[in-house]
Amino acid sequence: MSQIEFRNVTKEYEPGFKALDDVTLSIDDGEFIFLVGPSGAGKSTFIKMLIREETPSEGEVLFNEVPIAELPSSKLPDLRRKIGVVFQDFKLLNSKNVFENVAVALEVVDSSEEVIKNVVPNVLSMVGLVEKMFNFPKQLSGGEKQRLSIARALAHEPDVLVADEPTGMIDPKSTEEVVEILERINSLGTTILMASHDQNIVNKLKKRVVRIEEGKIMSDKKGGRYYGQIMAKLLG
Amino acid sequence: MGKLWQNFLVNIKREKLLAVSNLVIMTVTFLVLGMFLNIVTLSQTALRSLEEQAQLTVFFKDEFLEDQILNMKLELEKDERIMEIKYVSKEDAYRIFTEINKDQPVLLESISKNILPASLEIKTKELSDLSGLVSELEGGEGVEEVKFYKDVIDRFISWSSAVYVIGLVLAILFVVVSYSVVVVTIRLTISSKGSELEVLKLVGASDKYVKAPLVFQGTLFGFISAFVSSVLLSLLSWGGVSSGILPSKVAFFFISGAKLETVVYIIVLVLVLLLSGILLGFVGSSVAVKKYLKY
Repeated sequence: MSQIEFRNVTKEYEPGFKALDDVTLSIDDGEFIFLVGPSGAGKSTFIKMLIREETPSEGEVLFNEVPIAELPSSKLPDLRRKIGVVFQDFKLLNSKNVFENVAVALEVVDSSEEVIKNVVPNVLSMVGLVEKMFNFPKQLSGGEKQRLSIARALAHEPDVLVADEPTGMIDPKSTEEVVEILERINSLGTTILMASHDQNIVNKLKKRVVRIEEGKIMSDKKGGRYYGQIMAKLLG
Repeated sequence: MGKLWQNFLVNIKREKLLAVSNLVIMTVTFLVLGMFLNIVTLSQTALRSLEEQAQLTVFFKDEFLEDQILNMKLELEKDERIMEIKYVSKEDAYRIFTEINKDQPVLLESISKNILPASLEIKTKELSDLSGLVSELEGGEGVEEVKFYKDVIDRFISWSSAVYVIGLVLAILFVVVSYSVVVVTIRLTISSKGSELEVLKLVGASDKYVKAPLVFQGTLFGFISAFVSSVLLSLLSWGGVSSGILPSKVAFFFISGAKLETVVYIIVLVLVLLLSGILLGFVGSSVAVKKYLKY
């Protein structure tokens, strides 16, 4: 049984402009997948479908065999608790400190104060931010912000962690730290779906690589590599 | 509730400027609304008091005796249109006349005690009833003449109707404007948090989780601003009553004939403002936050 399944999914924002075009893909529990491709290829639309920020124009997206588009609005919070998302622009709550940014993810599921006090420091230590617990986002570096974003996504132990270009706005050293954290999370059983066009990371980790271009899946290989658009064309 | 209160205090502490400016805007709006309602009430009170001065006077023939006039007075008192009747005897009329003309001895000398007629001064509950009453009384037994300043009263009736209508329209307009200012202020506070609300939804917050703190804050802001303006208005009104500037009784908004003790009026005004504050805060924030709950 696939954990995530895209069945002939097409997303047309305007007539004639397909962000995704007849995409069919299955992701199993515990996999680490890179979604690669140039900007505007459809990676973000793919992720938005998964958390139902967007719905397909045709086809269906299933999570644990349940069609996401058919979920009533009242069930969306449950879905979003099972799928943690890390964004390129972090999407942190600037008026809350590091501790509170993570605690929010637990508060929304009505966790007790005691649980929050235990879980938040643990998650923060996992991403190396326990010492900056009372700092505010504006006092953090880009890499630290992204690690905080990961900590928040992990707080309610999601089944899947989706990272949309998580290294797009951070320096190479921080990129390595973030990827290392994602690998560690994956080794604990969480499915990781990471959209990226950073060739170094993709090629170093040797995971399943799904290449999207102009809304279509061009290749899907385990232990695959990513060479960018020109090299991919040259190599067929 | 404890959590909501805690969140509210933390938010206020972190966004002092926004919170204070919103509270000031809302307090001033409620204060101006209260002042306007006071002005409308006082102008209505003044109008009513002028209306009460309008009367008709029935002069009687000399042969119509005092007992007969008093009997007629008793009969007229049963008429529901009539608010007040005063009997002015020949002696009373002479006394009033001499009092008014005390500086004119020549005039006083030419008037004897018995020359002035006895009369009944009649005030009606509604100004418009005066005219009808005059035609009923004219030509009645013992009636010499019925005096009634028709032109003045007619003009006053049309003016007072205009003041009622303009006052009512302005009051409604002002209430709508004040309510809009309060709702827009609350909406601005919530809009400034728009991206945060989006993030909360993305991490799996339920509608209730996103909505509750904002509605709580909006309602509390409405209550606090209405409360502060109520206290200021009450102090002003109390000062007005104790210094004799304000009357002890005032008209009850636009309800004809209804009068309230000024103290009771102030209590009603405070309750109206507090209720408006709480309702506006609640409804305004609930409507504003709805926009961010659409998935």
